[in-house]
Amino acid sequence: MTTTNDNFNGIQEYANDQGLKLDWIDQQGEWGVKASADGQKGLTLSDTQIGSYGDPAPTSDNMTGKPRGAASRPNAYRIGGYQVRTKSDIWLVNAAMLYEEGLQRQWSSATDVPWETIRPLPDDVERAQCQLATFLTEVEFVAADVPGRWVAGTSPDYFEPRMFLITQIMDESRHLDVFRKRALANGGGLMQRPNVTTSGTVGSIDLSRDFTEMSSRLHISGEGAVLTIFRMGELMAYNEAEKRIYRLAAQDESRHVAFGVMHMRYLAETEPERKEEVHEYLDEGERALVAGNQNPAARDTAQSEALAILLGGGEKNYDEGYRKLLAIRKRQAKEYVQRIRSAGFGERFENGRALPELMEYVKN
Amino acid sequence: MSNERPVRGRRRLVLDENVEVSEPSLEWKARTLQWGTRAKPGKGGLKIGDLNVGIYGEIPDHWEEQTRMPRGAYPMPGVPPIGIALRSKRDLWADNAADLYEEAIQRRWVPATDIPWDTIEPLPDDVEAAMCQLCTELSQCANVEFETIGHWLQHMSFGYHEVKLFLASNMFDAGRHHEAFRKRALSNGGGLGLESRGEVNRMILESKGGWSETSLLLHLLRGTFILNVYRYGERFANNPAEKVLFGLAMQDKARHIAYGIQHLRYAVTHKDDKALVFERLLNIGERVFVRELQEPALLEPMAIVFGGGIEGATVGMERVRRMMADWVRGYLSMTEWIGIQRGAAFPKELAQYLED
Repeated sequence: MTTTNDNFNGIQEYANDQGLKLDWIDQQGEWGVKASADGQKGLTLSDTQIGSYGDPAPTSDNMTGKPRGAASRPNAYRIGGYQVRTKSDIWLVNAAMLYEEGLQRQWSSATDVPWETIRPLPDDVERAQCQLATFLTEVEFVAADVPGRWVAGTSPDYFEPRMFLITQIMDESRHLDVFRKRALANGGGLMQRPNVTTSGTVGSIDLSRDFTEMSSRLHISGEGAVLTIFRMGELMAYNEAEKRIYRLAAQDESRHVAFGVMHMRYLAETEPERKEEVHEYLDEGERALVAGNQNPAARDTAQSEALAILLGGGEKNYDEGYRKLLAIRKRQAKEYVQRIRSAGFGERFENGRALPELMEYVKN
Repeated sequence: MSNERPVRGRRRLVLDENVEVSEPSLEWKARTLQWGTRAKPGKGGLKIGDLNVGIYGEIPDHWEEQTRMPRGAYPMPGVPPIGIALRSKRDLWADNAADLYEEAIQRRWVPATDIPWDTIEPLPDDVEAAMCQLCTELSQCANVEFETIGHWLQHMSFGYHEVKLFLASNMFDAGRHHEAFRKRALSNGGGLGLESRGEVNRMILESKGGWSETSLLLHLLRGTFILNVYRYGERFANNPAEKVLFGLAMQDKARHIAYGIQHLRYAVTHKDDKALVFERLLNIGERVFVRELQEPALLEPMAIVFGGGIEGATVGMERVRRMMADWVRGYLSMTEWIGIQRGAAFPKELAQYLED
């Protein structure tokens, strides 16, 4: 919206004397806006969502990269090439809040992890820790590469979700970095990279051509499964450094999962006609969750064996560790069901659509 | 290494019910290219650069791998490629990327709480309008920066993870700048101004032939200019909030440029005709830049802010010219350090700032 500010009319003549054109000075978005900081939280993005700078329109014709609410220029280049220009494709109600939380809770893997607490571990435990760290250092950056592409491809009118995705990219960078650090900090090394297909095939996070499709796999299935593992970090940590890593990574991951759940909820509420399509993605996601290509707690993979060793306290207690691993699988499945219900797609658990193998884990 | 999964024995494991599980293979236990690595934390903690020991510090000139395999991990066959385009060190590398990444994390800041927003007092209308227009421009520039890097990040090889990590932090910083300048525009009775015409934005977004070429325009040409705007913005701030905002943004921008010029020099010294490619691109890019500078919406608001109002715009414009001279001087010294000749090809419209 462009408003003319009468106060500037009187100064044009004076400006001419100064050799200024000032052809921009009365071309503004809504004028007279005064966002105020809110106590301890400071001046948040939500505080600036006021007047015409607040809620964006359901569709966006912004192809020039114009900041939302700025005045348009008829001769601006159409350089955006944005493929996401429909609000429901990417929106959620709390992105601004999650973004601010993402900023406040940044941490440093160099200095916030007490590396000095790491002591030599038995060889089998160190190898298991390094195997898990190798897996995580590889898969965590999927969640940085892919959101980067969507940030670039989404209209700036929907900048709150984009801003959140940028914090996620930073978080995942730190995860790549912290698990590499763990693998190389205690007399071990990197080990076998995942011998399962994590990307590059249809149905993978990388190749999704729709944001919700991508988010259902990345935020709900993939990161949801990893979040459960991180939350159980106390059970597989052998020192304060590892405990801290899992705690901090879980904090980040829970924000990412919340983003996915809230986006799906928004879509379910605003475009219920897309629910059936989303159920298709969830069908695929559940198969992947059970097959476990991106799930470290999947059965019969190098990382699940490593987890069993870590959870059991060594190779000699493998069976005990495996029991705990299966308990984690159950918890993963239960948390997944809870998230999908919260996102507004819980009917799949009542009408028999959910994958039976997954539902087996939810029993009891 | 075999692509086949071995047939494994089965046994029953007693849980709350009997579950059949596989015998562990534990084949992975021997699969490491180097064991016994102990990276040591230094004064600044355990940094990503500290991990570059033994084979983990061998950074190849070319990384064939088309997947996300971490550098130094034990490879496994049969993983589908994901189409990573930049697989040569000279296409993205800078020796300082690892340190800059850690520095970015240590120097993180939060616009909501690290800027003393309560120090902003009402300003004369002309100054407020000029500041809002400047903030609109800077916010849009930052938007182009993170959109550009967001596009490139996925195409960069995991053999050079230090660069990917640094650029993620660059993107994060740009997001913060986008946000912080928007907040400034909306916090003092003003609003957003006029969008950019976007000629330089277009040039940066459309430089998709190679990351080095993008970095040339994003970090060297546009980045050094923005750094000077931040520097003068800090100098002529109207209140502590603006001073802190421009000061922190300046710190971030200096880091982005430090990566850019280091990478561009690396590219020039590792590919014969790269300097010539860069020279030709700058011949065009600098002229696009000159055209954009002629837009009143770009320099006039700065003249008003630096001069304290339209009344002081003559003095303000002198300060703008000084800022431009500082920029041109710094820019030319960087091109020379990188190994890019400017000489007679450098536009006279920019060279004139040095004569004032």
